[in-house]
Amino acid sequence: MSRVTIYVPGDAAAAAVGADETANAITDEARRRGADVLVVRNGSRGLLWLEPLVEVETPLGRVAYGPVDAAAVAGLFDAGFTSGGRHPLYHGPTAEIPYLKNQERLTFARVGLIDPQNIDEYLRHGGYRGLRAGLQMAPAAIVECVTASGLRGRGGAAFPAGIKWKTALGAAGDQKFIVCNADEGDSGTFSDRMLMEGDPFVLIEGMTIAGIATGATRGYIYLRFEYPHAHRALNRAISTAYARGYLGADVQQSGRRFDLEVRLGAGAYICGEETSLLESLEGKRGQVRFKPPLPAIQGLFGKPTVINNVITLASVPIILDRGAEHYRNFGMGRSRGTLPIQLTGNIKCGGLVEKAFGLTLRELLYDYGGGSLSGRPIKAVQVGGPLGAYLPESQFDTKLDYEAFADIQGMLGHGGIVVFDDTVDMAAQARYAMEFCAIESCGKCTPCRIGSTRGVEVIDRLLNGENAAEQEALLRDLCETMTYGSLCALGGLTPYPVRSALNHFPEDFRRRTPARAPG
Amino acid sequence: MRAAAIAGTAIPKLCATEQIEAFGSCRLCLVQIEGVKGLPASCTTPVAAGMKVTTQSRQLAEVRRGVMELYISDHPLDCLTCPANGHCELQDMAGAVGLREVRYGYAGANHLDAKKDTSNPYFTFDASKCIVCSRCVRACDEQQGTFALTIQGRGFDSTVAASQNETFMDSECVSCGACVQACPTATLSENSLIEKGQAEHSVVTTCAYCGVGCSFRAEMQGQELVRMVPNKNGQANHGHSCVKGRFAIGYATHPERIVKPMIRAKITDPWREVGWQEAIAHAASELKRIQREYGRDSIGGITSSRCTNEETYLVQKLVRAGFGNNNVDTCARVCHSPTGYGLKNTLGESAGTQNFDSVMKADVIFVIGANPTDGHPVFASQMKRRLRQGARLIVADPRRIDLVRTPHIEAAHHLKLRPGTNVALINSLAHVIVTEGLVDESFVAARCETPALERWRQFAAAERNSPESMEAVTGVPAAQVRAAARLYATAGNGAIYYGLGVTEHSQGSTMVMGIANLAMATGNIGREGVGVNPLRGQNNVQGSCDMGSFPHEFPGYRHVGDDVVRATFERDWGVRLQSEPGLRIPNMFEAALDGEFKGLYIEGEDIAQSDPNTQHVTAALLSMECIIVQDLFLNESAKYAHVFLPGASFLEKDGTFTNAERRISRVRKVMEPKSGHADWEITQSLANALGYPMNYAHPSEIMDEIARLTPTFAGVSFERIERLGSIQWPCDPSHPEGTPTMHVNEFVRGKGKFLVTEYVPTAEKVTAKFPLILTTGRILSQYNVGAQTRRTANNAWHQEDRLEIHPHDAEERGIGEGDWVGIASRAGETVLRARVTDRVQPGVVYTTFHFPDSGANVITTDNSDWATNCPEYKVTAVQATRVNQPSEWQKRFREFSENQDSLLQGADVFVGK
Amino acid sequence: MSSDEHLIKMANDIADFFRAEPLREDAIGGIVNHILKYWTRRMREKLIEHLRGDTAGFDDLTLEAVRRVAAQMAAKDAGTASA
Repeated sequence: MSRVTIYVPGDAAAAAVGADETANAITDEARRRGADVLVVRNGSRGLLWLEPLVEVETPLGRVAYGPVDAAAVAGLFDAGFTSGGRHPLYHGPTAEIPYLKNQERLTFARVGLIDPQNIDEYLRHGGYRGLRAGLQMAPAAIVECVTASGLRGRGGAAFPAGIKWKTALGAAGDQKFIVCNADEGDSGTFSDRMLMEGDPFVLIEGMTIAGIATGATRGYIYLRFEYPHAHRALNRAISTAYARGYLGADVQQSGRRFDLEVRLGAGAYICGEETSLLESLEGKRGQVRFKPPLPAIQGLFGKPTVINNVITLASVPIILDRGAEHYRNFGMGRSRGTLPIQLTGNIKCGGLVEKAFGLTLRELLYDYGGGSLSGRPIKAVQVGGPLGAYLPESQFDTKLDYEAFADIQGMLGHGGIVVFDDTVDMAAQARYAMEFCAIESCGKCTPCRIGSTRGVEVIDRLLNGENAAEQEALLRDLCETMTYGSLCALGGLTPYPVRSALNHFPEDFRRRTPARAPG
Repeated sequence: MRAAAIAGTAIPKLCATEQIEAFGSCRLCLVQIEGVKGLPASCTTPVAAGMKVTTQSRQLAEVRRGVMELYISDHPLDCLTCPANGHCELQDMAGAVGLREVRYGYAGANHLDAKKDTSNPYFTFDASKCIVCSRCVRACDEQQGTFALTIQGRGFDSTVAASQNETFMDSECVSCGACVQACPTATLSENSLIEKGQAEHSVVTTCAYCGVGCSFRAEMQGQELVRMVPNKNGQANHGHSCVKGRFAIGYATHPERIVKPMIRAKITDPWREVGWQEAIAHAASELKRIQREYGRDSIGGITSSRCTNEETYLVQKLVRAGFGNNNVDTCARVCHSPTGYGLKNTLGESAGTQNFDSVMKADVIFVIGANPTDGHPVFASQMKRRLRQGARLIVADPRRIDLVRTPHIEAAHHLKLRPGTNVALINSLAHVIVTEGLVDESFVAARCETPALERWRQFAAAERNSPESMEAVTGVPAAQVRAAARLYATAGNGAIYYGLGVTEHSQGSTMVMGIANLAMATGNIGREGVGVNPLRGQNNVQGSCDMGSFPHEFPGYRHVGDDVVRATFERDWGVRLQSEPGLRIPNMFEAALDGEFKGLYIEGEDIAQSDPNTQHVTAALLSMECIIVQDLFLNESAKYAHVFLPGASFLEKDGTFTNAERRISRVRKVMEPKSGHADWEITQSLANALGYPMNYAHPSEIMDEIARLTPTFAGVSFERIERLGSIQWPCDPSHPEGTPTMHVNEFVRGKGKFLVTEYVPTAEKVTAKFPLILTTGRILSQYNVGAQTRRTANNAWHQEDRLEIHPHDAEERGIGEGDWVGIASRAGETVLRARVTDRVQPGVVYTTFHFPDSGANVITTDNSDWATNCPEYKVTAVQATRVNQPSEWQKRFREFSENQDSLLQGADVFVGK
Repeated sequence: MSSDEHLIKMANDIADFFRAEPLREDAIGGIVNHILKYWTRRMREKLIEHLRGDTAGFDDLTLEAVRRVAAQMAAKDAGTASA
């Protein structure tokens, strides 16, 4: 009997539901039964309700079983799962699972498919073709290609990546930097982590291309310290890339240098804001800088710096490999390409859905998500992290598109969607938005520093029924002050969830009992 | 924002000031810009041509009011009793944005119970009033460069913290006052302001401490000083200050200050209070008697770098014209006389070549034998700013001064040489520059004397001067010397800053020439960003030298033997003048001990403490018959005096000081002299009593005379200083507004002259008996002999002089931190407490000299610079041993001092009594 | 140290600087000029007086220079007297 390859995700989300134990159980059980089994720790496929999702390589392709906990392993062996045997946890060929099959995976093409630490597998699956193409091009041509692809920053601000790169390319400087913002801190988001764990080389490749395109010879990945798995994965992949000549003084004999290292953040949400991130990376207190000067002109250590989110940079290799046109053909309006959406909260089928821009929230929530986990009606969703607006059912037909969301006072942000059923207290959510801002405020600008604390107090008084009308007016004025007065998006966007809750769910604020903090 | 201000449009603001970079935190200065989304902050938005900006609109007003409402919701409402009442920017802005109510109420979270930090003797930190604008933090970072303050915590919990949440006093804070100055509220307030309230008028004047010459506004209530505030238009300090000039002013009204004239026949007699007339008449008759008995040359005068130009000029005029000899000297003798000699002979003028602002264009800064962060703190802050911008730093110093490694600054090279080997080091640097082809050939060919250049080139290239050969002498690794030389010669603009670590050596003048050689050879002279910059210790070192207080030269550095010059003075002054040079200070002591020098008029100088070999000095003083001391206090020299004339503090008189960059600034009278007379008036009375008439009505008339007789000052007048703020001499018809950079197209002497600077080891050698080298220096909080600063709360930082000793040397001698250590040299012995530190290198010990009973100068010898007799303070061979009692000298000193104090008992001569 | 010894040391220190001059004549000239320019007449006289009695302690350059100082002072005095 020939050796059977079994995939058990090493991804942190899978590990959180026992994937490591499952993998050990499979190895132990195989040894006990004398079965020749190779366990590969792949990335996650993003079908989180099925994790640990075990896949077996069969002549028919990879077939899926899930969720597989350690206790189920013996039964799977009994059912002959090493040759694709049927079992209640059997889901058929992985690629045919509709949730996955209907996606358009460009950036996440390899995530879950390959052993993330195996550079040869990476190469076999199209890895480093983008860099190879880039090394044949003039820097300005690479920048032009990225511009033409329509790629916009996936971190939240959706600023066209090509324009940023062009500014950095044109900026004079003896040293330039590429900084990857991997301080993924929005609630309900995990795509950065999943990618870094599941396909670290694509990020390394993307940053290398960015370096070559802009003349930057050094890159930093600013990673939140809460991501130890990603930290290990990146460091191992970086050392492999150095060993194989994909990083260092002479990238693939091109004569171009690119050095890369990972730096850990210290746990402040504000350090996901690009200028605070740069301060933190310089070893200073994570405090927002004003712009201009743009980081592309005066960024890290005062030098021209491209700072992009993980997904943005990881989308670059495929753009260079397949051409701008290919990428651009996905999407709608000014939102081109695909967006890795993260479905979380009270949802039946949570996970990662990479789709071209243009599908509706409703399609996502029901066709992919399968409705709420509790089975109760979905009352609201928050899109774009803790600073995103709460959207009521009446807005579920909004298309996923930066401009369409802006039109309804919302934002797509980093593509995180948190789902709430009808038991949610929207006033408590509004209060939480202010509280979150108060906790995470860097303290530099007054509207955010004092305003967020006062916001919590005003909502408390409002809910206590103390001059409710006056308090609501004050809250709305405060929202104006914060929106227009704040230095960065933290204070500037906090009013979005607050105002949307006030506007769409006014009944939740008409109460005489004190609000409780959620949790 | 600046553009709006220039256009005359005021935009509300709280976190922006002119002294620090824009920050964008207060959000009051928001504006609308056509085509720009949102409301950008005007402080951080660069202006552009064609920009259409709206600074007032309904929306802007609402947002600003909203922000202010938030501020006030966390601020005490005690405006009426607040020390900032009258100059509170928060109050002003609340008014400007029309805040009428705080709808949040005051019951919410707040900081009103935050504790006050009163640890600093000069200011109070009241955190309850803090609006977290970070102005203090940024002032500390950007302006002062100490980085002692930070914002701790985040969000609503953000608070200003000193160092690691320590009190201000325990933190790294150097009490420069920049934070106090920056604070828009009463959070950081001067204690004097808290105590006295707002000033009702203010007068701009110049600090009387170091050679930076900071401009201050003296804020007054009538005759009483409320506080000193650095003048943001000050051309030397640009609104910055240090703990001395800003705060250490209390000495002017210290109870020990004497305000009435006194005389006595013998120094063992009690002092007798007399009227001014009697005191002056007595002094004059004594001086005349001595000249009758011992000859015309038996008396002399000493002026001081602390006097104004006009006072110094008058003293030398009194000596030359009134005494009829040239026995006049100044305390610059013991500090920067080698600078005058060395620079005059190489470049042609006895002064630094640049203004301070020039440092902002330097690419490599070479600090030799200077400790700017302690000695010249305000300039050091500017230098540090430039270093943080990326200029490279080379430090040559036996000791690890703070500048070697300080926040965001690290010296590229610290050449840690042995004391006394400066010239060996400068020669080996020259060797590298000459032999590695780093000479700026086109500069030297065009600008310097060729034969002298070639002679120097040959000398420098000699193998004995190579870094490798000199390594054994200097102790500096040859590779480091080579690297430093290359850096200085090739990194763009190279600027040398030096201090007393250069001049106070037996080869002090040689070293100054060596520095000038190096600057000329590399073409680092004659433009901004380069130059040879002596950092002057005292406020008016430059001025006192300029004013002709050296015995061999008239004002403007012209030799007394020059018949044409002398004739000019003789015509103007109406007397015959001597053509032979007079006695220098150390020569005066020698002459006194020989019985040939018997009378001395000392204005503002304390030779008994500040001059080397104290026992030799006091022996000389004891041998004299009439010593007249004009000072604020009964200083060490006054204890040997027969006439005491109470002087005026710098707050009590008009005049000018000239700082290290040749900048002449006005000293303005802000209060009446406590003794009734300004110092120039006292000198004038003495001249008149001696029969030489002087009739100046105001110091401006003295300056007019100086200008009339001194070509480099020809264009200087009080009126012009008033108009320009200050003037850097030379100021003459061709430079009517002064000269910031000297030697631009040609050297003052025509062609620059290279001089051969052979290294000659000092006679002061370490032996088995005296195996350590003692070197001396200063500390930030104290000033010189400490006569002023010791009489202020600055003692909180430095209460005694300590002996710094390397752990290795301490271990060998069983000396621990704080132990009493006897330090013996060939000249004498004293006792100090030890500070064990690796700041000093093994074999070298170090002390400051701010306290008289430390007796630092009991140990220093009478070795001196070959050319100027500037004492070799920086090198004394000593032994250090652990002891448990004061030295014999200290016992005698204390006894003598107590006795002298008792001779003042009962005299009603003190200020405010 | 007596005041004469001080003067000798001062003169020798000056000689130490000028010794670096390649030509002995320049070195002596430098010392002479320095002493004439910066010393009081009385100091010079004392040193010359001392030299008449005893040359011990004098550096050879110093010795020569002080002799020339004496000569120049004498010449100048004669000049002044005759004038």
